[in-house]
Formats: sequence, C-alpha cells, structure tokens
Amino acid sequence: MLFNIVKATTLAALVATASMAGDFNKQAEKDREGIVKYFEAKFSDPVKDKNTFFPYSTDDELKNNFIKNIKGDEFSKGGYAFSKNGRVSYDEIKEFPPTEEFVEKGEELYNKAFANGKSFKNCFPETTIAGSYPFFDEKAKKVVSLTQAVNECLTSNGEKKWNEKKGKITHLQAYFAQETADAEKRVDIKIESKEAAAAYERGKEYYFTQRGYLNLSCATCHIQGAGQRVRNESLSQGLGHTSHFPVYRLKWAAGNAANDGLGTLERRMAGCIKDAGQVPPKTSSETMKELLYFMSYLSNGLPVDGPDIRK
Amino acid sequence: MKKILKLSLVSVAAFALLTGCTTHKELGTTSTGAENNKYSKIDVEKVCNVKTNGIEKVIASAKQYNVIAKKKGLEFRRLTVNNTDLIISVEEAIKTKAKMVNPKTFKGKKSKTKLETNFAAHRACKFAIRALQQAEEGKTSWRLAIPGDGYKY
Repeated sequence: MLFNIVKATTLAALVATASMAGDFNKQAEKDREGIVKYFEAKFSDPVKDKNTFFPYSTDDELKNNFIKNIKGDEFSKGGYAFSKNGRVSYDEIKEFPPTEEFVEKGEELYNKAFANGKSFKNCFPETTIAGSYPFFDEKAKKVVSLTQAVNECLTSNGEKKWNEKKGKITHLQAYFAQETADAEKRVDIKIESKEAAAAYERGKEYYFTQRGYLNLSCATCHIQGAGQRVRNESLSQGLGHTSHFPVYRLKWAAGNAANDGLGTLERRMAGCIKDAGQVPPKTSSETMKELLYFMSYLSNGLPVDGPDIRK
Repeated sequence: MKKILKLSLVSVAAFALLTGCTTHKELGTTSTGAENNKYSKIDVEKVCNVKTNGIEKVIASAKQYNVIAKKKGLEFRRLTVNNTDLIISVEEAIKTKAKMVNPKTFKGKKSKTKLETNFAAHRACKFAIRALQQAEEGKTSWRLAIPGDGYKY
C-alpha cells in the first residue's frame, strides 16, 4: 500500500515537472500582456483619459497630435505610433529610406571572405535572424546578443572585433534586419529554462529601477511617461523598442561628419542610461544583454521592421 | 519500510530539484536583510559637509563610496563627467589649492563642467553615496512601476 503511495507521488512529481517545463515564460508573458494592456488603454482615447495618463498635456495636443486606438503591430513604430506630426515626417522619410545603402553594404560584408576563406555565411547560414536575438544560450547559461555573436564570429575566424556601436557592425545588422523584415518575420524571443527566466527577471529589474543622478528608470520615461513631452519631443512607449534596430538617427548623423548615422541597439541603450545620469553598462556586459533580453521579450509578436529611422 | 522511506525522500528531492523549488519572485536579484540598508542610514548632508568635515575628509568619503558604486555598476555620470573624474579633479585642486575644478570627460578630454572646488567635493561625495542609497531604495520600489504588477492605473 505504502509503496503504491510512493509510486503515485513520484509519478505526480514527474508529471508536474513535465507540465512546468514549458512554463518558464509564464511570468514574462504576464508582464508582456500587462504592458500591452496598459499601452492599449493609454492610447485608446488620450483626450478622455487625460487625467489618468496625460495630466500635463494640453487639450490641443491631445486632440490634434494623438492617433487614437493604437493596437498590436502599430506599437513597433515607436513614438510614431501615436504622434500625428511625427508620423507625417516618418512616412515622408520612409519613401526614400536613408538606410538602403547600409543594407547593401551589409550584404557585401556578409558575402565577403575572411582571411581564412570563410565568411559570415559560416556563422550565420540563415539571414532572417533579427527577430530571434538576443537569445539565451542554454549551454553557456548566458544571453547572447546579435552584436556579440557577430564579433565572436569575427574573432573565431582570426579577424579583429568591430566597434559594437556603429560602423560595419550596423551595416551587417541592417542586412539581417532587412532580410528578416522582407521575410515578414516577427520578434520571437524564447524563455525555456529557469536560468533564462532569471536572466529575464534581472533585465526587468534593471529596466524598472531608478538610477543616475536624475533618479529615473527606463520605465519612468517609456512606460508611465510614454506619450508625454520632454521639451518638444514625445517619449516613445517601451513596447516595440527593440524591433527596428539598427536605427538611422538624425541626431547621430548630424553629430559628426564621419558618422553615417546608423547605430546598434546597444548604442541607443547606452545613450539613454547616460541621459539618466549613470555610467552605462558595457555594450556586451551581462547587464546590458539581460536588459535587451527583457526589452526584446516585450516586443514578442511584433513585426521586425528594421533598419528604421528615428530622430 | 526503509526502501519506502528512501523512495519517498528521493521523489521529494527530485521534485524539488527539477522544479527549481522556486517562484518567479525569487528568480530576480531582489534580496532582503540588513545588508540592504547599509548605505541608506548614511546622512549624506552631514558626511558631505565641507565646512564641518573639511574638504580632504569629504573627498575621502567620496572616493570610498564611489569605488563601491563603480564596482556595482552604479556610478553617476553628469554631462559626460564620471564621478571618478570629478573626484580626481578635486584631489588635484586640493594639491594645487585651485579654487575651481575642470574635470575631464569619461573619454579623457576637457569637459565643459567648471565648478567651485568645495561645491565639487560636496557633489562628488553626494553622488557617490546617493548611487548606493538609490540602489537600496530601488530593491523595494521597482515592482511598483510594473503595469499588471505593482503599478495601478
């Protein structure tokens, strides 16, 4: 009798374990759904919900510069999802996107042979990969970013690392992003182990923790502050922040004649953290990669639409 | 009987091990305990007061806490100047008895920041301690900003 009870307990334990094995993203899904729901509520009718979401905005601004009822894929456009004025400029620039030449350069780099005769094709046989980075490497128990993977490909083939923020790395990433977008793929970040869930949680904690001398968290501006103005700019929402990189920024292009204006996601994140008044984590540090892992998970299901343009 | 007990123990241990014996709240880096309030108890204005403590002592405190903040990835940077560089500029000003400091940027170039030396020492000290206090405060406040969790609207 007792032996049967033990057998039953063991069986129940194994069944429970098996059922939980695919459940590591349960909390992440809850977070993502909560955030999607929040933004859908926030941008459903800004005039009506002024007191709840936009207490400092003017009636004129809410009435004339906000697109209402934003849902689903629209969020991948960042601030241009809700800003009427911003969307007009964005659509005009997109008619002749300044990113085309970078995609071509990226394709050349992809096909160009390294000194050892191999090329990026050997590391990345599939080019429609932009929506599946960063991913959690279950063997190494670490998050791997696309930037890191590109540089590891270079060094493992005896080549020198590239700058992780601008230059050649952005051209190659632009090619991957364009290929992914052309294949109509969507962001697909997976959490398939306890360790991956822990990495996601650390990224989440970083995102929501106030830091720097200005005492801001990422969420201060891009969750609670999304849609509100900082000087003359509307803050973009945290949903869809990672789906369009690398990005051509007017600010980057104008900053230096030697700069082509294209930057990696890590470059943008470092700039944002610096703006909050803190020394940003290193580009390929675990902290940075886990932050990107969390942010990318939030964009799950959104279309990959890089390389894109931003102010 | 022994066999049954052994099997029961093994099954319970296996369950605990395989399920990770944890909930999502334990997955993050959140921790509690006395260590969490180590820096929050520091009276910043008292410790960083140049008039009462003297500039050497204030900058020594700045250096002491900034090393920890830097190690934890919490160091402050204001207008391209890392707190480390601000501290260095004050230390140099103490040596040369300069009334103003002009710290270097994080890239090692000349910054646009020009501050009165005592004020710079106070700021460097405050920045170093606040970075650590802020991180402690953040351990209990960060979940309050998550829609669908602590943030209600």
